[in-house]
Amino acid sequence: MQIFEFYRKDRWPHVFCPGCGNGTVMNCFYRAFSELDLPLDGTAFVGGIGCSSRIPLYINSDALHTTHGRAIPFATGLKLSKPELKVVVFTGDGDLGAIGGNHFINGCRRNVDMTVICINNNIYGMTGGQASITTPHDFQSTTTPYGNKEYPFDLAEIAVAAGANYVARWTTRHVHELTKSMKSALQKKGFTFVEIVSQCPTNFGRRNKMADPAQMLDWFKASSVKRDKALASAIDHVDLNLAGQITVGEFVDRDRECYEELIGVEKHG
Amino acid sequence: MKPVIDHKLCKGCNICVYICPKKCYSKGAELSELGYFDAVVSASEKCYNHNREGKLICELCILSCPDQAISWHPETEEEKKK
Amino acid sequence: MKTPAGEYFLQGNDACVEGAMTAGLRFFAGYPITPSTEIAEGLAHRLRGKDGVFLQMEDEIACISAVIGASWGGAKAMTATSGPGFSLMQEAIGYAAMSETPVVVVNVMRGGPSTGQPTRASQGDVMQTKWGSHGDYQVIAFAPASVQEMFDLTVDCFNYSEKYRVPAFLLSDAEVGHMRGLLKIPEKIKIVDRKEKGMKRTDEAYDVPDDLVHPFPIFGKGHKAMVTGMTHTDTSKIEPEDVKVHQDLVKRLSEKVLRNRKDINKWELMCPGSKTMIVSYGSAALGGKEVAATDSRVGLLRLKSIWPLPEEPIAEIASQCEQILVCEMNLGQLYPSIKRIALEAGCRKIEFLSKIGGEPPTPGEVRHKLRGMGAI
Repeated sequence: MQIFEFYRKDRWPHVFCPGCGNGTVMNCFYRAFSELDLPLDGTAFVGGIGCSSRIPLYINSDALHTTHGRAIPFATGLKLSKPELKVVVFTGDGDLGAIGGNHFINGCRRNVDMTVICINNNIYGMTGGQASITTPHDFQSTTTPYGNKEYPFDLAEIAVAAGANYVARWTTRHVHELTKSMKSALQKKGFTFVEIVSQCPTNFGRRNKMADPAQMLDWFKASSVKRDKALASAIDHVDLNLAGQITVGEFVDRDRECYEELIGVEKHG
Repeated sequence: MKPVIDHKLCKGCNICVYICPKKCYSKGAELSELGYFDAVVSASEKCYNHNREGKLICELCILSCPDQAISWHPETEEEKKK
Repeated sequence: MKTPAGEYFLQGNDACVEGAMTAGLRFFAGYPITPSTEIAEGLAHRLRGKDGVFLQMEDEIACISAVIGASWGGAKAMTATSGPGFSLMQEAIGYAAMSETPVVVVNVMRGGPSTGQPTRASQGDVMQTKWGSHGDYQVIAFAPASVQEMFDLTVDCFNYSEKYRVPAFLLSDAEVGHMRGLLKIPEKIKIVDRKEKGMKRTDEAYDVPDDLVHPFPIFGKGHKAMVTGMTHTDTSKIEPEDVKVHQDLVKRLSEKVLRNRKDINKWELMCPGSKTMIVSYGSAALGGKEVAATDSRVGLLRLKSIWPLPEEPIAEIASQCEQILVCEMNLGQLYPSIKRIALEAGCRKIEFLSKIGGEPPTPGEVRHKLRGMGAI
């Protein structure tokens, strides 16, 4: 698909900062979507509130820009009222895992057919760099000026435990693997979840000695380890810390019945 | 095919400089129209896709560029010979 | 599947279920909360397979969000709750108003604030219905006072919500929701669907239509709709910094409802020329209704519409009577507005019968108050 068949030409270029990982994720998604030859008019995009949640507004199809944390229930209603629509959700770490936490775990459990792309930049970027539920321990943010005292969530592991049919995590350093996982997620029935650890040089990197996006990508590469080869012990891998690891790979690929199958929703004409 | 940077989109983040395994890009020293020090294609002949048509390999720069500023262009006869 | 025409004897909440199915409901998302749970349970039975989708969500915020999402998929969608759940839904209600999404919310009001009296009636959420979310917006709300009206006004909620692309509320209460009575379903009922004609591309602006309502771009039809809660232009461009864009949008959202008041507002009038008029709504009006029916000195203006507030009928009766008694099951929510309108219209004396605690004012209590006013 040509680039301006996929993106809205009258909304271009996007407003993301120099070096922002959102643009990288968009590239991989566009590549995955085009290679699968999916119909854009038959796909709806839903976002919450945050930088990554703005991505649906750049795509040349129906877009629902909702309230903070609630993209998944909006998408649930949209999908079940019109099951023939393909629904893709773009969200962020705070939007999904903090305010949206309850909807995240129940979305995985309910297993409505949708693909959720979570761009995890470890920070609340749009509002200026406050700590998020995935900000690593001891890191600086505007609300943790003495270092983050809390420990982060592992969003992908939560999705596995809550029942999502497909879960993968990569970083923006892993563009080829990420594209491949997005293709798997888009093709799989049920709730599919792809988490991408991504750089926010402006509001996260800059306060944590990684103002250059290349430094953040290097950090991702150095910390990444395939999940099945994870060196950390069972409790420690709930910690995306500089001293810890980011486990990457395809975490789960299973075939629990999706919600539409369970309730016998007929596809409308 | 050779990579070309669109200077109306590039924001000078230099991820391409970092990511390219063949070091085809360099940090630029000229201020662009948008006010950034754009990256430059300094050695497209080193690219994996130099003198290659059809199915391209690598593509790390195109997939990584946050501003969709890089695209593939056909090479001239002279460029192909490099 | 619609209910066949005929006579039925059932509970208020069940009549609401019938009204919703008759109006074309195809998506319901609910959460158990007394005294509205029967609506969710009734629809869990009715919405299956081709008839529609029923969902019990994880919380009320998920319910209202799912209902709005379903509306964008083209389905007539509804949720039902009570006070505590209604409070949770406020952010999304503002979103529905800002994005002009047709949705119906049933609030079977109970004693508040907070957990309050789960099984007892009140009219404590009346102001919240219009002012509960942040910012300026208008909504449509009806207050049923009988089993029949639980059906009729539910149908009206759907019709007006579709017509004006605005959230519509059925403000019931624990008494009306749980009372049992007669429901007559006629053969023919008018059903309104959202406007789809005259759709433009997202980069084309609309001419301002007379009723201020733009056509609704249902998802999946190639409209490339862009829906957001942020301040946006008619071409759906997000422009939160632009003063004029915000003014134009928010004023149109308000005008859309206020300008069409004559079409929306409903009320019942008994003995309008009486020296004393009772003004009330919902189950608070039932005691007064009996007094007005048996005493020629007293009339009743029973508001079926709560929002937009029916200023015209209130002013009309106020200009003709000597005194007004407002009855509400709260500490005074519509009373100040009714008093203002009545004073401006020339009525000198506006008294208030406030009854909280869960029971509607009895005819005896209304008569007692009227005696104190010198009306009877």
